Amino acid sequence: MTFTDLLYKIFIQDGGWLTILNGLWVTVQISALSLLFGTLFGALLCFFRVGKFKPLKVAAQIYISIIRGSPVLMLLMLLFYGVFARTGLSPLLVAVVTFSMHTAAHVAELLRSSLMALDKGQVEAARTLGFSKWQAFKLVTLPQLARIAKPVYQSTVVNLIQWTSVVGYVTITDLTRVINNIASRTMQPMITIMGGMIIYLALSYIIYGIFHWTERRRSQ
Amino acid sequence: MKKIFTLLMIFSLLLMTGCGGGEGKKPSEDASKIKLGMITRLNASEENFGEFMKKVEETLDVKISSHKPVFFDNLNAMQMALQSKQIDEISTYRSVARYMIAKDPRYEVLKDHSLEFVDSFCFALRDDETELKDSLNAVIKEMQSDGTLDRLTKEYITDIKADREPPSVELPHFDSADTIKVAVTGDLPPLDFINAEGKPEGFNTAVLAEIGNRMLKNIELVNIDSGARAAALTSKQVDVVFWAIVPVSEIIPSDTDKPAGIILTEPYFKDKIVHMIFKDEKK
Repeated sequence: MTFTDLLYKIFIQDGGWLTILNGLWVTVQISALSLLFGTLFGALLCFFRVGKFKPLKVAAQIYISIIRGSPVLMLLMLLFYGVFARTGLSPLLVAVVTFSMHTAAHVAELLRSSLMALDKGQVEAARTLGFSKWQAFKLVTLPQLARIAKPVYQSTVVNLIQWTSVVGYVTITDLTRVINNIASRTMQPMITIMGGMIIYLALSYIIYGIFHWTERRRSQ
Repeated sequence: MKKIFTLLMIFSLLLMTGCGGGEGKKPSEDASKIKLGMITRLNASEENFGEFMKKVEETLDVKISSHKPVFFDNLNAMQMALQSKQIDEISTYRSVARYMIAKDPRYEVLKDHSLEFVDSFCFALRDDETELKDSLNAVIKEMQSDGTLDRLTKEYITDIKADREPPSVELPHFDSADTIKVAVTGDLPPLDFINAEGKPEGFNTAVLAEIGNRMLKNIELVNIDSGARAAALTSKQVDVVFWAIVPVSEIIPSDTDKPAGIILTEPYFKDKIVHMIFKDEKK
């Protein structure tokens, strides 16, 4: 059997490519939703973390320390098989909650570090010039914050996609699970997993491409 | 900056070529042993497996200490380790071995390994599900006596042609009937595997379909990673998981690999354990 035949047998034959696409779609869904909710929750956490209200500040600090220090697979299994086991929540929803929580902790810290890198004098100058707090944030802080946070945020997105590869543990058939199933069925784990890696790599490069494109548009 | 980068590169190269540590050069007792890949049992650590093998050696007067067990989460990882020579042999079931050879002729069954074990396949349930256990036992007994299990074994395991996969299975559906949720991993073809369309298939699925038809219950298959089976069962996300019982005798108690809180049904299938190698890799 030639190498091309083998590739055809593993990835194409009997609609195997459609199953891979379905798995990829599940990975994309979990990643996109978790990124959205994780970013929003992360921004809120950062707001609490840098704020002056002590109880919220401490709560955000504890949350970030615990979540960032825990393996995401443990958190996922704890939520699915423990906390939400009797609620009847779908595995997909629990996965989105888990990855949103995890992403939020990372986003909160990345936003905080970006805020710390900003020159406070600029906000003070804006305030002296008569800008309201919101205007100073929107027109002075936010654009600079976005610029500083962007490279790390891009890595967080790519990391998130990779973190989702453990959802097979909570009965979800994502890209990794599909690849593992194909490897078991065809008894060709090396080639199948390499194929899976290429798909994940392509996904990561799409993310890099999107960030690069937005960067170019901004500089034009 | 360039100097630092060059130094870092040299350091990385040294590490990668193995000059960074001398661990690999230490003479070790294990170095002469045959590394045998095995699938992790749910309740057996490498330590208690070692104890168990020692007991077998002492009682049966056979020499098996020439093997060093290396545990893997699934068959894929074990195969990759064998292909990359991280291990020397793998231990699996005869039916799985036959499927592996049919798919990849580089594998070969070793004829002369010192011990021959036969594992029994059954269902594991939570210990409060005694009623379900009794019903399953009754159906398994019925299927054994009327030859259904033999027929399914023939149809889904022994009679499978090398270039074919086992026939697909139609799961029963009964309106307003109870549903039994069963965890499948897809890790053990042709017993448990996922077809190209992403649907669970194989001998175990065929047995379940027959059980569902006889018990007039719906069967829902939940595709899950093998490492999460125990968690899925105890948290009631599934009602049944597939289980393999080690051969029971005076030296091997039936609960050797049975975690607390789990009950097992009668076995519905038995299979011999064989050792496999890549061709030209015999020791």
